[in-house]
Amino acid sequence: MIDWNLLAKIAGGGFGVTIFVLVVISLIAWIMGLVLQKVAAGGKENSDKG
Amino acid sequence: MFGLYQTAFGVLTWGNILMLLIGGLLIYLGVARKMEPVLLVPIGIGVLMVNLPFAGLMIYTPEGLPVEAGTVSELIRAIGDGKIGLLNVLYTYGIKSEVIPLLIFLGVGAMTDFTPTIARPISFIFGAVAQLGVFIVFIIAYCSGIFSPHEAACVGIIGGSDGPPTVYLTAALAPRLLGPITLVAYSYMALVPILQPPIIKLLTSKKERAIYMKPQVRDVSRLEVVLFPIIIFLVAALLVPKSTPLVGMFMFGNLLRASGVTDRLAQSAGGVFIDVLTFLLGLTVGALMPAVVFLRPETLAIIGLAIVAFAFSTAGGLLSAKFINLFLKEKVNPMIGAAGVSAIPMSARVVQKMGQEANPRNFLLMHAMGPNMAGAIATSVVAGIFLGMLG
Repeated sequence: MIDWNLLAKIAGGGFGVTIFVLVVISLIAWIMGLVLQKVAAGGKENSDKG
Repeated sequence: MFGLYQTAFGVLTWGNILMLLIGGLLIYLGVARKMEPVLLVPIGIGVLMVNLPFAGLMIYTPEGLPVEAGTVSELIRAIGDGKIGLLNVLYTYGIKSEVIPLLIFLGVGAMTDFTPTIARPISFIFGAVAQLGVFIVFIIAYCSGIFSPHEAACVGIIGGSDGPPTVYLTAALAPRLLGPITLVAYSYMALVPILQPPIIKLLTSKKERAIYMKPQVRDVSRLEVVLFPIIIFLVAALLVPKSTPLVGMFMFGNLLRASGVTDRLAQSAGGVFIDVLTFLLGLTVGALMPAVVFLRPETLAIIGLAIVAFAFSTAGGLLSAKFINLFLKEKVNPMIGAAGVSAIPMSARVVQKMGQEANPRNFLLMHAMGPNMAGAIATSVVAGIFLGMLG
């Protein structure tokens, strides 16, 4: 007998959590890139002035 | 003389003979057709070993499960008494303990360059949606009544097209199906160049396939490359704790490479180390396919469902790229989303080939490698989610 509750929890919930986790990772990777690029650009500007 | 000496002919069944032919076919495909030879050849040898009566390399319980080795002293006694075979030892300590798939993933991490994924973080979305086939096939497999929820999850994860998470999850949730699931997963990964193009063509127009992408997205600094595996590991471990062993080993292997100070370790992990482990995995998986276990209706169902999983995963990744294109100023070629099914680097190569056919100026390989790597992380996360919900 099929446990529809379990099915919905795993299929719907599981896929939802997968998307959520990967979106979080994507955002973190994007922010990390943005910050490090800014820091690198700032450092380069300072060394050019110096 | 014949009273003292017994040949194996008398107890050879038709099932054994069929499995010997299947083992031979796998060796042929590996050697002559070069299809995943590192894996299919040892699997083929394992199939031959376990289907020869009296060979005693892998002993099974009456329920069709391999006898597990106990403590070291019990193990030595059992080997001496012929109650346990060499491959039982490899199964217990290598696969059942999940050591081999995890160490293989470490090696895969050491060979992986995440630069394309870091340069285009949206790749993670393609990798995530490309897990669609895993969940759709979980539903179909469970509703079919053939598989329990645990088994259905293991059949579904074939759609992630990533070997180590598939073996890891199946060893934990459905060891009975480890042989057929691993064989089908790796065989279909080798068939990606045949399976994916019709689905991609069905869901894209020639104009979409010809969308040009600049060769490079942006420069990625060394600091980003080093920080990336550490951050991914921490995030995945905190959000999906059961994925920690898989993601942890994958990212640890990658850190060996990215750090730039452990080159020899990274080369070893991605070289002889992974080759030996893959060989042992293949041999043991082959030995999990005696006729009485493999020649069941479930195996045919797994073969059929795996195609459905691949198709939906390819479609999911591709359609997610088409959807995201609606919001992007600089469009991506939607085919790179199809590479989110992992199968590193096979699906990225498919995208590259199809991209060049549609537009000879296009060079999509590195763009497709981004979702490809993201797909590997996503499949590990999915394995962790299944373990958390069902384990």
